[in-house]
Parts: sequence; C-alpha cells; structure tokens
Amino acid sequence: MLLYIAKRLGRAFVSLCLIIIVVFVLLRQMPIEGYFASFDKMTPIQVENGLRKLGLLDPLPAQLLNFFGQLARGNLGISTRYRQNYPISRIIAQKAPFSLRFGLIAVGISIPLGLGLGVLMARRKGGAWDRMGTVYIVFMQAVPSAIYYLFLQLYGTQALNISLLYNPDKWQTMVLPVISLAMPSVAYFAMWMRRYTVDEANKEYIKLARVKGVPAMAVWFRHVFRNAVVPIVQLIPNSLLLTLAGSIYVESLYSIPGMGGLMVDVIKRQDNTMVQALVIIFAVLTIVGLLLGDLAMALVDPRISLAKRTEAR
Amino acid sequence: MAFNEEFVAEPAGDVVLSIRDLHVKFRLRGQALHAIRGVSLEVRRRETLAIVGESGAGKSALVKNLCGLLDPNGWIDGGSIMYEGMDLAAFKSERDWSRVRGKHIAMVTQDPMASLNPLKTVGWQIEEALKYNQRLRGADARRRALELLADVGIPDTRRRSRQYPHEFSGGMRQRVVIAIALACSPRILICDEPTTALDVTIQAQILRLINDLKGKYGLTLVYITHDLGVVANVADRVAVMYAGDIVELGLCEEVFFDPRHPYTWALLSSLPQLGVRKQELRAIQGTPPNLFQPIRGDAFAPRNPWALEIDFQHRPPYGEVSPTHKARTWLLDPRAPAVEPPPAARSIRALFERGAFAEYPQGGKR
Repeated sequence: MLLYIAKRLGRAFVSLCLIIIVVFVLLRQMPIEGYFASFDKMTPIQVENGLRKLGLLDPLPAQLLNFFGQLARGNLGISTRYRQNYPISRIIAQKAPFSLRFGLIAVGISIPLGLGLGVLMARRKGGAWDRMGTVYIVFMQAVPSAIYYLFLQLYGTQALNISLLYNPDKWQTMVLPVISLAMPSVAYFAMWMRRYTVDEANKEYIKLARVKGVPAMAVWFRHVFRNAVVPIVQLIPNSLLLTLAGSIYVESLYSIPGMGGLMVDVIKRQDNTMVQALVIIFAVLTIVGLLLGDLAMALVDPRISLAKRTEAR
Repeated sequence: MAFNEEFVAEPAGDVVLSIRDLHVKFRLRGQALHAIRGVSLEVRRRETLAIVGESGAGKSALVKNLCGLLDPNGWIDGGSIMYEGMDLAAFKSERDWSRVRGKHIAMVTQDPMASLNPLKTVGWQIEEALKYNQRLRGADARRRALELLADVGIPDTRRRSRQYPHEFSGGMRQRVVIAIALACSPRILICDEPTTALDVTIQAQILRLINDLKGKYGLTLVYITHDLGVVANVADRVAVMYAGDIVELGLCEEVFFDPRHPYTWALLSSLPQLGVRKQELRAIQGTPPNLFQPIRGDAFAPRNPWALEIDFQHRPPYGEVSPTHKARTWLLDPRAPAVEPPPAARSIRALFERGAFAEYPQGGKR
C-alpha cells in the first residue's frame, strides 16, 4: 500500500513538473507588455532594462531553473499589472477562501443530489425519473454553461428579489452561484451513479445474494448501492475540478472576489506573471485531485493493493 | 448436526417439488419467445436429478423459476410449481420469494468468478447467508462460517475467511459459493452448471465435493448440465430437454442404457467417449428450432433421421417405457414401425462397463 502511494506520488510530481515547464515556456511567448504596468510610456531602453532586471533576457533553460527555485521557496512571483509590485501569493491568500467556500458547498450538495438522482434513475430504467434525469443530464452536457448561468442569474435574482451581484453580508446572494456551480456536478454524479448502479444490479453476485435469502432492500443497500458508490469516490476530486472550471465564469458573473474571477481578470489585463501563477495553481489542484481520487479508490476497493498480488490460480 | 435431523427423519423418494405443465415466455425485441413449452417434472426427496440438453434448450430458464430469478423480460405463461402447498408459479414479489429462497431452495450458480461480491470478505458473505437463514450472528456465525469453509475443503479457514474473492482461484471460489449455499441449509440445492467455468481437474473435485455434501447435509440436488459425463457420475434420474420440453425422463441407467427418444440417441452418440481415434466426432446435424415461431409436431423432427410423417404434424404424447421411464416420441406408439436405436447409442453400456466414466473427467483423455 505504501509503495503504491509512493509510486503514485512520484508520478504526480513528474506530471506537475512537466506542466510547469509547458506553462512557463508558453507564457514566454506572450507579448512583453504584459510585464510592465505602463508599457506605452516607456522607451525601448527602459523596456530592455526592465526585462533584464526580471531576468527575462537570460537563456530559457536558465530562466526555467530560476523559476523552479523560486517556486520551491513558495514564491509565485510579483504581479505587474493587476496590482503593481504586489506578491501574487498574498493576492491569492485573500481570494482563495471565497472560491473554496463556494466550491466545497457546491460539491457538498451535488454529491447527495447526484447520487440520489442516479439511483432513482437506475431503480426503474425507462421510468419517469430515468427520463427526466436523462433530459437534465443531456441538457447539462449539451448546452454551454454560459447560457443557463445567465438565465439563472437574471430570473433567479428577480424571483428571489435580491441583487444581481454577490454581497458577502447577505447569505441569500450565495444561493444562486452555488446552484450554478452544483448543476453540472449533479448531472455528472447522476450520470455515473446511474450507470454504476445498473452495472452492479445486473451482476451475477446480486443473483446469488438474492437466492441466498437476503431481503430485497438489504441486497439493494449492502450490495448494489455500496458497490456502485465505490467508483464514484474517484469522481469526487474530478467534480471539484468541474466546479473550479465553472467558478471561472460564475465568479465573474456574480463578481465574487474569488480565484476564478481573478483568472479572467488577469488574462484581460495581460498580467503575464499572474496568469502563469494561476494556471500553475489550477494545474496543481487538478493533479492533487486526481491523486486523491486514486488514493481514495485504493482505500475503499480491496482489489487495488497493487504492491503485491496473491492470486493463486 | 442439529439442522440435519429433520432431513434424516423424512423418507427419501417423496415428491418435494412438482412442476405441472409449465410455460415460460420471454419478450425479446418485441417478439415472444416460448422458452418452456409445457414442462412437467417432479423432484423427489434426496435424489439427484440431472437436467441435460444443449445450450438454449431451456434448462436454466426452467430452474430459474424455482427461485424467482427469471429475467425481467420473462414471465410464466401457465402451469404451476407446487412446493409445500405453495405455488411458486404464482409468486410475484421479492417478498413472496423470500419465503422459499435460501432455507428451502438455494442455488450454486454457473460462474464462480462473478457470483461473489468482490468488495466483501468471503467470511462476511457466508455469515450473511447464516444471518438470514439460521439466525446466527456474531461469534456463532463466525464459527459456523469457518466450519462450512472446512466442509467445502478450504484449508486455513481462519485466514481464508478474511480474504476477498479475488484472492481465491476459480475452483476455490466455487467451493465458497457452495459453502454459501450450504449456509442457507436448503432442502433443494440447484446446481446450474457448477463446473462449466472450471478446468477439468477441478471439475472432478467439485463434483465429488457436492456429492459428499449431499450425503452429509441430506440435500436434494437438481443438476443442470450439458455434460453427460457429469450426469453419468452423479445423477439418480435424468431429464433430457430439447427446445423447451422434456423429451425423455427416467432413471440414470434407463436413459443411458435404454434410451427411447431419437434426440437422446443423437445426444448419446455424440459423446466424445464414443469417438474412434482418427475419426471425426459425431455431431447432431442442423440447429435447434426457432422458439419465436410456434412449433408444429415434434420439435426435433427436422433434425431427426428417424422422423415419421406424424412427427411433423402432431406433438407426440409421452410413451411410458417403465413406471420410472417415459419419452415424448411417436416411436413408442403401438402403431409406429419398429426402429432400432443407432449402434453408438446402444454401446453406452459397454462403455460403462469398460469404466469410461468411472474416473470422469479424466476418462475423456484416453
């Protein structure tokens, strides 16, 4: 088990380094005005001095090495245009709690809702729940989120009689952004839960459980549901990522002072170092999420021991 | 063992379960498939009844009705299954079935690789059966589970009971499935091709095990198989199924040594044990009939070289050969011409006497 965790951690670390290299190299191709607050008023000599000071005229491998050293010290760099000469890590420390709160609440409510919907759909295949659920899932998958986010904001705020934007002092204004973030996740969980439940319910061991006299409800909970939830564990980090992606748009829509809105902001303002820092942060979250999913799977499924195999055939 | 006494006290040979004129249909792609076409069959106490026939003959579809495992697209279209004054054919809900499943009728399923819950330990799965059928819990259940594991020949029971199914080989898993079935302490144990998924050496072990346990636990066994070698070894009585119907039924020796239905002849003639070196093995020509269409006459007639004209017109009734032996063929009608069974089918007795089945399945290797 420990060996498996070590291996998996090692792999996660390697992919993280690769992503950092790619992001770094790509962002060096961005226009250089992204490194200066008032590029328009600068003379070419000033620009060159500035670039030299930032170390951007060094050969690329040297820059990359510097950057890794900087990251190892926990330094994400200095903002140039978004908030001049302000450490990026400080900006993020102010913003992250908002995103975290919205994201966790959204995932927290979408798990029970999604699993519940999935099971309802699976219990009677082709029934009313199944058909309604399928419509919902297809809608979520097919329609760009921007459309229903906008509708939800427009009609939702009207119906609840609250302001269009997020106000930290009024909890009511949290409802609509959380619903927006949860909606695709509910569809995602429902889709997989339905599928896994149907899969498990048709398995041979369910027949044996029934024929050995276990009551129907016990078969349903202890065998079908219990086993169908196992692969779902792996999807939870993934759904966090889904809400993360959603938050980029939802946060700017409701002007929530979080990380997602920040991303849109800094791209618009061409703050190169900040874009770089944020992309790397999102990448780290993704990799950590996938890692946690795999580790959680290994915990709940005895078949994943990977270190040693005791199959005796 | 306490729970065996009631079986010991009852005389062997009484009818415990009786199927009367059972019809089962399945809806497939909008068409109705008539899978079981009027089967009548009695299961006697503490006998081993084997149901044989080729794939698709309806063997599984027939016994699935005994424990409510008929697929959702199937339904009983007439007939009755009487067990202890209850008509299983009229059972609708899982609640009804919970009255007979386990304690009365249990089943060993075909595929040991798939019939255990992969996420529960083997011990847990046996204890679950004990909990619902013998009201054993906690330490009592654990002790009994270990005993059962030992009974089915699994060594090192304490350690093994804490392992998961994936840590067991195919043969060992089938032993676990048998232990679960025994944990229900059933009167009737249905073995649905218990050895098909296993390799040959393991097959013999499992057959021997089931046979030993039959004596120890006073079981009534219903075997489903397409392997006549298995039948020859374990069965008291044999029912031969073809196209959803029992075409011949009799004591094991009667069906093997004095077969009367042309399908049984064909089946016996295609035994690999009858094969002659360097000659092609015999096979039955043609394919089974399409059960989506109504069958006219004898279902086997189109493949039957001995078919009479009437075989294509009217379904034959059962002809009685002896009080224990009957076959559904016009050849047993007094008006029928005398037909000699093929020499291969007649040589089965010689084969037995040579011991071809004695060490089955190794016998097939000669």
